[in-house]
Amino acid sequence: MVIIPATTGQMGVLPGHVPTIAELRPGLLSVHEGNDVTKYFLSSGFAFIHANSVADIIAVEAVQIDRIDPSLVQKGLAEFTQKLSSATTDLEKAEAQIGVDVYSALNFAISG
Amino acid sequence: MSWFRELAPQGVRYISTQVGRCHSRYFSTFSSTVTLNFLCHSFKEYLVIELFIAVRTRMKSVKNIQKITKAMKMVAASKLQAIQPRAENSRGLWSPFIALLGDTPGPDKEVKYVILGEKGKAQLIRDSKKDIKVSISELQKNPLNYTQVYALEDDILKNVEYDALRIVFNKFRSVISFQPTMATVLSAEVVEREAEAGGKLGHLDSYEIEGGETKAEVLQNLVEFQFSCVLFNAVLENACSEEGARMPAMDSSTRNAGEMHDRLTLTYNRNRQASITTELTQIISGASALEG
Repeated sequence: MVIIPATTGQMGVLPGHVPTIAELRPGLLSVHEGNDVTKYFLSSGFAFIHANSVADIIAVEAVQIDRIDPSLVQKGLAEFTQKLSSATTDLEKAEAQIGVDVYSALNFAISG
Repeated sequence: MSWFRELAPQGVRYISTQVGRCHSRYFSTFSSTVTLNFLCHSFKEYLVIELFIAVRTRMKSVKNIQKITKAMKMVAASKLQAIQPRAENSRGLWSPFIALLGDTPGPDKEVKYVILGEKGKAQLIRDSKKDIKVSISELQKNPLNYTQVYALEDDILKNVEYDALRIVFNKFRSVISFQPTMATVLSAEVVEREAEAGGKLGHLDSYEIEGGETKAEVLQNLVEFQFSCVLFNAVLENACSEEGARMPAMDSSTRNAGEMHDRLTLTYNRNRQASITTELTQIISGASALEG
């Protein structure tokens, strides 16, 4: 079973799932093989679930969560939250918002 | 042989001693050129010396070229080693899209070009100048990465409207072989049309769409993502093929330069020996004329 971070929320995928094209947001991907669970943080991308129970997950970046440094995550989150509050133009606001989203997802991934 | 030392000018002694003992190339050139200049009596002899110097210069430049091409080959080999695994791994980024959307060329309409790099531009600018929409160069200033490709994609999509994007690149097979390939990315509208019409993309409708507001929006994102993935792979494969093609080219160039250098050395030695022999004959005949 695989749990993927779709834009509509965490989605569980089992064999026999309905064929789906899912857009992904930055978040946690967990692969459950029997009792083993491997967790990755995805930067975003797409997931295709085919009728023959094959799932393709295409992400720009995928990192195993034990490789992520929590202190840097906290620092990044603080930095972007501060940027968001001090942003003036729409572009700056959008960039800061993206930063906040990604870092909060990272935070959630390593703590959850 | 006492006349030899009395009557002959200073330089002649120089030849006989130097011929035996010259080790340093610079020395032999300098001394023999100086001597020959000293003994030169006619325009013809002057030309021989000029030829002499010309061969020498040619040898030096060929040797330099050999060094340069050898270095270029090593640089290409190391670059290839760095980029080849990246190119091969990036193929996986692309294959799910083929599984889903296929690789059909799409509708055949009027064609406009977007050129990345200098090589393609030089060719296409000659006969299709008016069809070139965007041209981008200096891609490899920094090592290729996805962010750069995404920025390229942004640039391109802002400037062109399309039904189908066909990416032509050299797919890397091995160091000695690469294959020109064309990958197609259809625009969202065409995908939608094809899906509804049935046929190759007919199965697309059977897929549920998660995320986004409407199916059209998700399809649009999907298509743009596909383009960036395919472009990333294409750029890496192309860079790989370029370095792979450079290696044997530089190799044969080095070998040719070496062969040319050998031939020139033979010519040089022949010239040198011939001119020395001529001078000796002149001196001896001059001396014997004086005697007799």
